[in-house]
Amino acid sequence: MKPPGETREVVVAGIGATRWGYYPDRESYELAAEAIIDALKDAEMEWREVETAFCGSVYQGTGSGHQAVREVGLTGIPVVNVENACSSGSSAFRLAYQAVASGLHDVALAVGFEKMPKGPIPSTAFRPTELQMGFNVQPANYALETLLYMEKYGATEEDFSLITVKNRKNGALNPHARFQKPVTLEEVMNSRAVAGPLRLLHCCPLADGAAGFILCTRKKLRSKSRAVTVAASVLTSGVYGEAVYQCGMVDSVKFPPAEGMVEMSARKAYQFAGCGPEDMDVIQVYDSMAPGELWDIEKLGFCKEGEAPRLLREGVFDINGKIPANTDGGLISRGHPLGATGCGQIYEVVLQLRGEAGPRQAKEAKTGLCHTMGAGPNSSIIILKK
Amino acid sequence: MECGKKTVPLREELWTASGDQAGLIGSGCTLCGEIFFPKKKSAFCPHCQHEGLQDATLGSRGRITTFTMVHQQPAGGFYKGPVPYAYGVVQLPDGVNVETLFTGCRPDEIRTGLEARLAIEKLYEEDDGTEVLTYKFVPTV
Ligand SMILES: [Zn+2]
Repeated sequence: MKPPGETREVVVAGIGATRWGYYPDRESYELAAEAIIDALKDAEMEWREVETAFCGSVYQGTGSGHQAVREVGLTGIPVVNVENACSSGSSAFRLAYQAVASGLHDVALAVGFEKMPKGPIPSTAFRPTELQMGFNVQPANYALETLLYMEKYGATEEDFSLITVKNRKNGALNPHARFQKPVTLEEVMNSRAVAGPLRLLHCCPLADGAAGFILCTRKKLRSKSRAVTVAASVLTSGVYGEAVYQCGMVDSVKFPPAEGMVEMSARKAYQFAGCGPEDMDVIQVYDSMAPGELWDIEKLGFCKEGEAPRLLREGVFDINGKIPANTDGGLISRGHPLGATGCGQIYEVVLQLRGEAGPRQAKEAKTGLCHTMGAGPNSSIIILKK
Repeated sequence: MECGKKTVPLREELWTASGDQAGLIGSGCTLCGEIFFPKKKSAFCPHCQHEGLQDATLGSRGRITTFTMVHQQPAGGFYKGPVPYAYGVVQLPDGVNVETLFTGCRPDEIRTGLEARLAIEKLYEEDDGTEVLTYKFVPTV
């Protein structure tokens, strides 16, 4: 990757999003179009100014982004559909960022959208034998990792249940969240067992919805006061020897990796942005399963390995804490619209940096980070600065 | 396995022989020594990129490194075995981790660190009564 000095500054000029929920009566392209039109209005721009579009989704299929663009206007621009599992939205954002940073385009659209299909979903994230052996259960694959984490650091079921409690409390302050009702520790710990030691309320719900962004050069901006700079947008994939049970990958016994995929993405993002974890005022981390947020926070460098449970109890990751995490309720409250999830995170951090997050506003939020993962595996880090 | 029942393996070349002689079939790299399970059809080693993978029969005993118990039917309809079921990872002395189903004990008896031995067992039964076999590990409880 070229150093920041050799690429152009890219700013988020406008943001738009639907509420996250269940939309049996709306098509995915209608959800995406709503987010795009919102983002255009927010940027105070006309559709004809947008030079290229990157549309992320997992299950919407061939030409789905084109369907969304057709609802906004056919101007002949290049439209690229991006499927990169749960990092699809973040990957679309990164491509739009690259289009502007490289100097090829001045104004680009990124949108993530999803409407979960009904019935069985064919999976290509596992090998056929793994599917037949029943190794494709997402909570179970997290459970394998959770058990290792618990044994290594002495973490308990109560520790990761407190993640759910925190995120559902934040979600109650977010009018866009799918779940807006807080839950108690007892409710979490008494919810149905899904895959030991994980229970139903440790798992994020699915959701439909869309979020979109207008990215451009500073010169193209209409409203300079609300613009947020993309300080880094980094994507990594699997590293040799690291287990990713979500893709049927086990640890190499003989050749363990020197650095994990998430750690690598974080290192590269901090390096590019010229800052570190200590500079982040608000973070959106990957909580598709509650315990995942604990080790994600650690892998991203916000504390030492095994320390997250204690800091969580001390309130460090609360909205008014030192490192507010998943201020919009995370995947656990917002819901997980696979291909749109990364864009949902970016939407929240932009709101926070603009000071527009209302009752869940983190104080003095100047710099924020979003982390998505997903089958592949992928790890995406986006750092935004006011 | 009942006498006279027709059986088919879930997939060819996952294991060799049967009963006490059974062993999983992996691939070993002649250059870097890495071991893969299941075996790879290509000779190309994705660890060192050397074109030197050869079939290797793996040891039939190992240690459980992690496990879980699944209480719900997996999505997609690919899995036709019983629910609930337990799966996890067994580390073999050859130096390779294997993702596997567990069998032969109560789910609450499974622990990390326990020894486990390979067993070739029924995964499910086809409509015509044919038993589809797969590899599993039996924890020594
Ligand atoms: Zn090799």
